[in-house]
Amino acid sequence: MSIIKAENINKTYNENTIPVHALNHVNLEIDRGEFTAIVGPSGCGKTTLLNILGGLDQPTTGKVTISDTEITSMKDSELIDFRLKNIGFVFQAYNLIPVLTTAENVEFIMLLQKRPKEERDQRGMELLREMGIEEKARQRPSQLSGGQQQRVAVARALASKPQFVLADEPTANLDSTSTTQLLDIMAKMNEEEGATFVFSTHDQRVIDKARRVVTLEDGKIVSDEKR
Amino acid sequence: MLIKIAWRNIWRSKGRSMVVMGSIIVGIWALISAVGFMNGFMVGYMADIINHDISNIQIHNPEFKSDQEVKYVIPDGKKKVNEIRKWTEVEGATSRIIVSGMIASARKGSAVQIRGVDKSNEAKVTELDSLVNEGTYFDGIKRNPILLGKKLAEELKVKVKSKVILTFMDESGTPISARFRVAGIINTSSVNLNEMTAFVLNEDIGRLLGSYEIHEIAILTMPRIEEEVVLNKYNDLFKGDLVETWTQVAPELELLNEMYGSMMYVLVFIVMMALVFGIVNTMLMAVLERIRELGMLMAVGMTRIKVFLMVLLETIFLGILGSPIGLFFGWLMMYYYTTNGIDLSAYSEGLESFGYSSILYPYVDSSTYLIVTVSVIITAFIGAVYPAWKAIKLKPVEALHAI
Ligand SMILES: Nc1ncnc2c1ncn2[C@@H]1O[C@H](COP(=O)(O)OP(=O)(O)OP(=O)(O)O)[C@@H](O)[C@H]1O
Ligand SMILES: [Mg+2]
Repeated sequence: MSIIKAENINKTYNENTIPVHALNHVNLEIDRGEFTAIVGPSGCGKTTLLNILGGLDQPTTGKVTISDTEITSMKDSELIDFRLKNIGFVFQAYNLIPVLTTAENVEFIMLLQKRPKEERDQRGMELLREMGIEEKARQRPSQLSGGQQQRVAVARALASKPQFVLADEPTANLDSTSTTQLLDIMAKMNEEEGATFVFSTHDQRVIDKARRVVTLEDGKIVSDEKR
Repeated sequence: MLIKIAWRNIWRSKGRSMVVMGSIIVGIWALISAVGFMNGFMVGYMADIINHDISNIQIHNPEFKSDQEVKYVIPDGKKKVNEIRKWTEVEGATSRIIVSGMIASARKGSAVQIRGVDKSNEAKVTELDSLVNEGTYFDGIKRNPILLGKKLAEELKVKVKSKVILTFMDESGTPISARFRVAGIINTSSVNLNEMTAFVLNEDIGRLLGSYEIHEIAILTMPRIEEEVVLNKYNDLFKGDLVETWTQVAPELELLNEMYGSMMYVLVFIVMMALVFGIVNTMLMAVLERIRELGMLMAVGMTRIKVFLMVLLETIFLGILGSPIGLFFGWLMMYYYTTNGIDLSAYSEGLESFGYSSILYPYVDSSTYLIVTVSVIITAFIGAVYPAWKAIKLKPVEALHAI
């Protein structure tokens, strides 16, 4: 059974002035435990698609269902709550709260979910250990490298025990070593914890690590291969 | 955690936080000083008039008020004063014989109210002796000593020991003239005492009038005793006299008091408005600077209420930090000036003619500190609401993409 089901998604920006058709009749299903890359040239609609799958944006027409819950008809406030409980996010940048330490950043999302203290501490430390940044727990994001910051972001995303994690170009600001490291950790979490990842990229090294590659072009899915 | 974030956010942009904190400090300090100075002016001025001129309560024959004739005396006045002095609510009571008349020096003449006083009790009730600026309090003159206000003395061109002639009519309308000698010159902020009153002793004026019956009783109540208490007690005991508190004797003072109150509100309002704009501005900057961070927080599932609270808390913390400092500076300034006073004598020529004394003693009561602080914090709060509102109006997707 799929956790994400996008049916016939259309997204048009600037409907009233110069319309931009960012997504055209996109149909996509993602199953639990998948490790999927959304790829394609710049401007093909990757960010738009991820935003719609994550309930950050609404499609012009079409329907998104996440584990039997249709999110395209939800109100704004319901969506915030839904995202908190079901979806982990990793953005290209500005993932972390600069005034909180690494550990606090990871804890924060669990605090929003009202999880008990022991669980927050335990899961937080466990994730930081998995990410290999245990010793940075008491440091602020500004004291971390870009790659380390993104690993904290992945830890933060996983801390909420989401149905799946959406990552929009998580490696765009990273050098090749950090890119490989981050992808390896994501793949490991996918294998060990069965965490579902959907990420966008146009980096070939990242694409190589994916188990499923969905290619977009001008807002249409042109290929979808599993490996 | 929200508290932690808000608290740490304050230290993120120190300059900006200092601006907000600084305006809160200056706001509180400015308000306290303004209240202090205005208190010094207005309340000090009023206290002067009440203490030295009007007293808390005055008693007259009901006819006397409209027609100050010698015949309208207080029946058994002397007995009543003696009785009142025994009351525990009363600090002092003094009797006066009041006649309208003319005063003339060798050079000039002027209309005056001749106020016969009871030397020792007058000193107790109005501290008339303390107002004597040159010469003595009725001492050192063998016959018919008189005290004149400084203004009046200048007008008549008389000095201590100069001779003046008082002319007035007795009950039957017979004019009486008598020679008095200036024992002392008094200086006060009350225009009435300074320009239009001549103080003589009851025994002198009584002898000249041929009657020692009194026209006025002035009462100084004990501290923290409501005037009404004494007023009611008197009315219960002695019927038929007109008993008035200072607000009834001088309604213009009450009016002044109210005017002063509304001026304070205007002032407070102006300072608050300035503060609100300052805070709105800087906090809005803080929000705009963090637009992507706020977008991220909303994207990952932080509710709008929490985002709103976070921004609000930040300003509240600044208020809580700034208030004690502002209070301290305000208090320090008041402490200094309340004890030392501010000498306005350089500008006092003009001021004194309005009835102000040349040394100003600003003061604020402790409730002012509380009121000022609470209103500044409320203002800061109001100033923070708009930026916080702006923050929650952000759409996560757009905020994340903002440059
Ligand atoms: N807010 C917007 N308003 C108008 N047009 C937009 C908006 N966001 C995206 N677009 C347009 O929609 C199309 C798809 O944009 P999108 O950001 O999804 O592409 P992308 O694949 O993520 O590109 P990149 O690889 O550069 O991140 C582009 O043509 C873009 O110009
Ligand atoms: Mg993109």
